[in-house]
Amino acid sequence: MKSFGAGVMSNSIPEIRDLDFLFIIGSNTTEAHPIIAMEMKVARQRGARMVIADPRKIWLCDYADMHLQLRPGTDVWLINAMAQAIIDAGLVDKDFIEKHTEGWPELRANLAKFKLPEAERVTGVPAELIKAAAIEYATTRKAAIYYTLGITEHAHGTDNIFSLANLVMMTGHLGVPFGGLNSLRGQNNVQGATDAGATPLYYTGFQPAGDPANRAKFEAAWQTDLPAGVGKNLNEIMKGVEDGSVRALYVMGEDILISEPNTNHLEHGVKALEFLIHQDIFMNETTKYAHVVFPGASFAEKDGVFTNTDRRVQRVRRAVNPPGNARPDWQILCDFARAAGYAMPHYRNAGEVYAEIASLAPRYAGISHERLDATPMGIQWPCTGPDHEGTQYMHKGGPVKGKGTFIVTNYRPPVELPDEEYPYNLATGRVLYHYNAGTQTRRDSGTMAKVGECFVEVHEEDAAKLGVADGDKVKVVSRRGGVYAKVWVSGRVQKGNVWMPLHFTEAAINKLTVDVGDPLAGTAEYKVCAVNLIPVRGGKAAPAEAELEAVRHPHG
Amino acid sequence: MTDGFTITVDGKPVAAQPGETVLRACQRAGISIPTLCDDKRLDPAGACRACLVEVEGQRRLQPSCAWNAVPNQVVKTQVTSPRVQKHQDLLVSLYMADHKLDDSGLPVETCNGNDLRAWATQCRPVALEPVEAPRAARPGDKNPYIQFNPELCVLCARCTRYCDEIEAVNAITLTGRGSETTIGTAGMRGLLDTTCELCGGCIDTCPTGALVEKKAIEFLPHHIERKVRTTCNYCGVGCQMDLNVARVDGVEKVVRVTSPPPGETVNDGNLCIKGRFAYDFIHHKDRITEPMIRKADGRLHAVSWDEALKFAAEGMNRVKQRHGPGALGFISSARCTGEENFLMGKVARAAFKTGNIHSCAAT
Repeated sequence: MKSFGAGVMSNSIPEIRDLDFLFIIGSNTTEAHPIIAMEMKVARQRGARMVIADPRKIWLCDYADMHLQLRPGTDVWLINAMAQAIIDAGLVDKDFIEKHTEGWPELRANLAKFKLPEAERVTGVPAELIKAAAIEYATTRKAAIYYTLGITEHAHGTDNIFSLANLVMMTGHLGVPFGGLNSLRGQNNVQGATDAGATPLYYTGFQPAGDPANRAKFEAAWQTDLPAGVGKNLNEIMKGVEDGSVRALYVMGEDILISEPNTNHLEHGVKALEFLIHQDIFMNETTKYAHVVFPGASFAEKDGVFTNTDRRVQRVRRAVNPPGNARPDWQILCDFARAAGYAMPHYRNAGEVYAEIASLAPRYAGISHERLDATPMGIQWPCTGPDHEGTQYMHKGGPVKGKGTFIVTNYRPPVELPDEEYPYNLATGRVLYHYNAGTQTRRDSGTMAKVGECFVEVHEEDAAKLGVADGDKVKVVSRRGGVYAKVWVSGRVQKGNVWMPLHFTEAAINKLTVDVGDPLAGTAEYKVCAVNLIPVRGGKAAPAEAELEAVRHPHG
Repeated sequence: MTDGFTITVDGKPVAAQPGETVLRACQRAGISIPTLCDDKRLDPAGACRACLVEVEGQRRLQPSCAWNAVPNQVVKTQVTSPRVQKHQDLLVSLYMADHKLDDSGLPVETCNGNDLRAWATQCRPVALEPVEAPRAARPGDKNPYIQFNPELCVLCARCTRYCDEIEAVNAITLTGRGSETTIGTAGMRGLLDTTCELCGGCIDTCPTGALVEKKAIEFLPHHIERKVRTTCNYCGVGCQMDLNVARVDGVEKVVRVTSPPPGETVNDGNLCIKGRFAYDFIHHKDRITEPMIRKADGRLHAVSWDEALKFAAEGMNRVKQRHGPGALGFISSARCTGEENFLMGKVARAAFKTGNIHSCAAT
């Protein structure tokens, strides 16, 4: 990360319960990270103060001291106004800024325009609340910030993070236990996937792919020549599928036709691919167009490691055999590489694969399956040698990259704003009872008993205007497509805003969303787009498939 | 271990920390004191009275779970105090009079173990007239995961305190008076109609097996062959869990998920609904079980691994030769292991010479 050198959770989960102040922004923690929310609630019961910034009245608001209910997409304004309030109150940590950062004068000059009255007008949050939250954060020593996709899945997602990083550094909440900037990662191994090098930017262990020295190192280890430079990121690969410059895909453990934004357009590209390999545990939309299907193994059927959100490497252990002729995914990949003509080593087990990772990446050099087996708490990287005990919190004694950089950020409105034709802001997210596209949780009786179908949260005044009530069916339409959902007048969304969960395949919500990516991270703007709601009279339980097709492909 | 001090338990020195209870100091030293209502994650309740000890200078026996250790304290447990042992013999007898017993006259073994049974075997219970306890369950509770058996409940309130202090939803509560006291909900509604998030922490903390996983009842307690510690495959918290394996129709299956003891892992023994209960997908009938290739008829056909691998390798190599490595894309998965993501990167870069490798998002 450009601000201070690592885009990960700087501190640790077990520190949460001893915090005195928590600032939670864009994270519906109770539903997306339930066990971390438990720790936050324990902290609260032990006397910590809790401030939540979220457009919705999320569950955790019941425990919060303040709820900054900002308008969707105005996070930069809110955070920068907090920073300016801290400057006005004379509460910046001059010592930390001087020793550990650069770019302060430029930032301070830019922040001057983020005044409280204007912040209230833009964000909708009372100026007094913004100021109170800012001052409490700046004056509490054990104070930490938590965020997740609520602020990153925007076209200006990186600006949001830079703004938060500025806030952390200007108050010196970095490089100490019980502080830091903490990104709660959404998936079991989203951290580990990047760590391992499944990214165009880096080889294993965040070693830049564009650096010829790294390329030479991996060419020596893998005994072959490797491509120079940096390849396409996910967003670019998907654009390539749409425009025909990418002609073949190998997709492991993902349904690109559900999870990627603006899926209507993508589907045509996927249909036209010359070759598609899909490796998964269940059939899904992507499988429909696959030329080859490899049956993989679930987490209960293979060995390996996951890296969690606080950089903790932990073991995954095989408990049962995969069904039928399904096989652990690591074995399939090795066999496939050999069939394609590459001399992949014959690893006897996943531990030997990990040993190769550790040998190539200094930050995991001290980690092995054997050592993890003896460590029930797991090992937090960096862990550079067999005697290194791992790293509870990062940036001790100064930011990892040397000096932390203050990055000037400015407000940019969301790409698509409501208008007369599409008058509502749609945001998307998770519910506690399901997980992502629901391939796993929608196959369980209890999770379905709690939440069994797609819903759309609507403000009561909007519901009255539309003439709909709880349980009524509506068609939610954007410029890109439409899906059906049941109305829930939840009392959680603001007027003019609606919210939908992303777990329901038949309501594939990413048919609605915008595929404009953040220019730096390539993250799609899943969080804000403009929609309209059309009541469906007669209240059919499920629309006919033909009707759905018409919605999916309005132009034929 | 700054500011540590020593107390004397049964005549032996025991190290203690400021603010620590007598019970915790004893547990660390390996001294066994029976408890029912104690859970490291919860504030001491002093409810079950099983852990009473003699503390020098105190007229009454004191609950070691709620009594702080102080320097030079002298404590006697059931090992050296006949008074404590006598208290325990009588107390366990009272519990047993209000509890389901097996043919040997001991509290029944249950699906999730029974700390009362273990304790009773260490005592000399006296036979008391059984109490006709009218304690009620919630007969209309249709929740699919959590079953409550009132006849096994000792009202230690661990489940209700967990629901309050840790999960903080207060779905269940002690309700009723006297012998009718039970674990209830507001209006005795089913759990699906309360604030309950179905985390199942109440099952995990129950000491007598009065709360149990509905889905696993038929396999418990004797059919679990082993427990395998692993990392949950849902969100990014990385909770540690134990997959319970049983043989079903000759095939080993995951039939239950339990949490590790508090204090040992990053999740401190806690799990959410997905981690503890949403494991049916593992053995679901929709799992893909055979490699498949799309043949001339446009349909997918099951084939051998050799044929599928050969077909796949030829297909990718063909596109690479025709359009160059830049026309290939490799999408790895945040759901798969670190090793697999590493290998996907290696396949893309080393075997196919492309940097078009990324992982993502949602399945």
